[in-house]
Amino acid sequence: MSRRILVIDDEKPTLNMFKLLLGAMGYETLAASDGQQGVEMFDRERPDIVLTDIKMPVMDGIEVLRRVKELSPLAEVIVITGHGDMDLAMEALNLDATDFINKPVQREALVQALKRAEERIALSRNEESLVSVEPEDHQTHIRVRGNVTALSGPVLNRAFDEACSTNGDILLSFDENTSINGAGLSSLAGRMSKCVEDGRHIYISGLSENFRAVFEMMGIFRLAQLRQ
Amino acid sequence: MMDFFRRARQRFEAMSLKNKLVLSMLAGVMFISVAIAFIARWILVSSLTSELEMRGSAIAHSIAERGGGFILDHDHPRLLALIFDEVRLHERRRLVSYIFIEDQNNEIVAHTLTRPVPEGFKDNSVPDGAIRSVKLINFGETPVIDIAVPINEGLYRIGTVHVGLSKSHIDNLVSKLRVAFLGFISGIVLIAVYLSNRLSHYITRPISNLTRIADDVSRGNFDVPLLQSAGKDWNPDECPAYRDSNLPCWHFDLSAREQADLEKTEVYKNCGSCLFYGTREGDEVLQLGNSFRNMVWSIKLYRRRLRESEEKYRSLFDSGPDPVFVLDCDTGRILDANPRVEELYGYSRQEVVGMEFKTLWPEYVPGSLESNNPGSECLYRPKVLHYKSGGEPFYVNVHACSISYKGRRAVVVSATDITEMIEKDAQLIQAGKMKSLGEMSAGIAHELNQPLNAIKMGSEYLIMMDESEVPVGPDQYRDVVREMSTQVDRASEIINTLRSFGRKSDLVRERVSMNAVVNDVLSILKRQFELDNIRFDLSMAENGLEVLGHSNRLQQVLFNLVTNARDAINESTDDYQRRIGIETRQEDGRVLISVTDTGGGIPEDVRDKVFEPFFTTKETGQGMGLGLAISYGIVKDYGGTMDIESEAGVGTRFTLDLPAAPERGRKQ
Repeated sequence: MSRRILVIDDEKPTLNMFKLLLGAMGYETLAASDGQQGVEMFDRERPDIVLTDIKMPVMDGIEVLRRVKELSPLAEVIVITGHGDMDLAMEALNLDATDFINKPVQREALVQALKRAEERIALSRNEESLVSVEPEDHQTHIRVRGNVTALSGPVLNRAFDEACSTNGDILLSFDENTSINGAGLSSLAGRMSKCVEDGRHIYISGLSENFRAVFEMMGIFRLAQLRQ
Repeated sequence: MMDFFRRARQRFEAMSLKNKLVLSMLAGVMFISVAIAFIARWILVSSLTSELEMRGSAIAHSIAERGGGFILDHDHPRLLALIFDEVRLHERRRLVSYIFIEDQNNEIVAHTLTRPVPEGFKDNSVPDGAIRSVKLINFGETPVIDIAVPINEGLYRIGTVHVGLSKSHIDNLVSKLRVAFLGFISGIVLIAVYLSNRLSHYITRPISNLTRIADDVSRGNFDVPLLQSAGKDWNPDECPAYRDSNLPCWHFDLSAREQADLEKTEVYKNCGSCLFYGTREGDEVLQLGNSFRNMVWSIKLYRRRLRESEEKYRSLFDSGPDPVFVLDCDTGRILDANPRVEELYGYSRQEVVGMEFKTLWPEYVPGSLESNNPGSECLYRPKVLHYKSGGEPFYVNVHACSISYKGRRAVVVSATDITEMIEKDAQLIQAGKMKSLGEMSAGIAHELNQPLNAIKMGSEYLIMMDESEVPVGPDQYRDVVREMSTQVDRASEIINTLRSFGRKSDLVRERVSMNAVVNDVLSILKRQFELDNIRFDLSMAENGLEVLGHSNRLQQVLFNLVTNARDAINESTDDYQRRIGIETRQEDGRVLISVTDTGGGIPEDVRDKVFEPFFTTKETGQGMGLGLAISYGIVKDYGGTMDIESEAGVGTRFTLDLPAAPERGRKQ
């Protein structure tokens, strides 16, 4: 079955292009040209995924996200931000947006975001984020899947305690579909800096481009090095 | 006759004063003495003559008395003896020429003549009843006054006695008198001539001296011996005003303000008793000399003062920091220029003098800089374009004051080079623009991102279709490609607007349509503001609305007003009214643009300050307080004004009032 996507953007040409592109990708597209209309349409149609521009007159994307999450916490909302507008992106992530895409929209990023949304839809919502610790030779591997939120704090704490107790480097790897919000990030950063004070080297791998930018912004890479 | 008098008068008037004095005194003296002489002579001569006649008639009467008997007795020898006795008596001989007696029949009965009795001898007869008859007759060759007296015996007349008085003797006596009088008059005249000469000399010598000195003075030679008529107590170097031209002596040519200042000083009170101008005892001639001396002295001091003043102003003229020209009002040519002119304009002084001022300032019309208003002598023209010798234009502020220069109506024009100031202004404006651009950058990025996004997605679609080898439907293909083309245009329009906004404007103003300015600014801001939920209410006039200026500076002004309006709206708590009204209209030669917001308004007490640099009502760090100051400067530069109307809680309206550009095809 083809998934339905609601696209909310105040730019008519953009809407048209989304329709074509998403149509070609095999999605059924619903379009709304402002936030108010978009929320109403979401309420009516209940699409699986919502793509919304953040900067819109009348009702902006953040407000749309908040309302959509009120209507359906499980809805996957991908926000479209202006290039490098990380503050808004973080705000959206804290409101449990699935992901964010920069304008101009790269097909790759769109595909990735949609895929992540698909995966998240596929994943059981009840399941907590999965954090596993695997000791390897001369490093400890912490794998993170699913969503990292404030709720993930204790789990992450435990994982890091375990990893830091060993001597050697720590590799922190994320799955493609991992989504991290602000609260999750700050607890992660707190744990990491503690480990770094203990003299550990932390490496990070497997982040999507977007979250790499988010980490960069939050200064995580001052604590850890990226490993491809 | 009349001619003669006129000529005489002219001649008299042409005479020197000395001669006039001598002549008129002489004439006076002569007239008086001649008159006196004639009257005296007349009195004397007539009384002498009558006295002699009396004597003659007395002689005749006594003969008549004594000789009556002899005639009756016909005693002729006795009668003869009687008359001879009378004739020979003492000094009568010279007076009496003859005596003869006639009887009743007019026959001569006795006479003293030594020659025969001439004819016409008996012309003189006494009428009946008369006492005597006197008649001038000719006795031969000599004139004689004949006095006839009748000899009466009782009622009857028995004869006549004739006594002849010698006329020449009488004339002799009279001529002696005349000579005496003439001598007297000549003496008086000589004395008068001498005296009048001396007097006139005394009067006219100082006058001729003064004349000579005055001639010298008017030829510019002031080193005349002033002391000629001066007392020994008078030494020019002792005059305090000689060394200090600020002394009250100069009070007659001070300005009213200086005069008032001076009158308060102690030294002014001494003016009345100035020793220098004190008068000395003496007659009018001396007084005249004194006054003249003082006059020359004061002229001398004035010249000195004038020279000082001229030197002072010349040095000001030469050392002043600005180029100064002296222009002839009538011809518009340059009469004089100071050294700064050479430095700034690049013409040497020789080149400049005589040059038409139009060459440096094409807009100059001869006579246009004269102030028609007598109250203010000077005119001020800010920011006019002058040209250097190489044809390079630069801006100056011009002050022009009317003067009289070497007898001609002239204007002193000083031009202050404000190029640097304008540069600074331009830099400030540019900085303000850059700041505005910085403020806008987020919005512009967003604005540019929209078309880019559409283009990107369109192209990604085409690529994807190509990769998956699915043919694109012709309709879709057309839609996508057209949309992409449209979006590219949209992006380049934004870029062009930005480019023109950011470009540094040159000096020359162009015709700018205010509507285009509003549209340009809105093309950048409108979307952003709408994202901020601010709506625009536009009310644009149909056409016209052209002003002379620089489009990007006007954009900057409008941009500043609109962003201020947004900030005001964002600061106010009223969320329902978020509107900015922009209205453009034209009213009798003015173009009006108003920007109205629905913000909280500007408090009364700061309304005057909003145009001051670095004054801001925004929170610290929010605004520099330069936006409105720069805008105000730009508007003022175009000859416009900016007004604020504001009501607390309702909003604020800024109105720009700019002069409309002249209609096309007409020169300014």
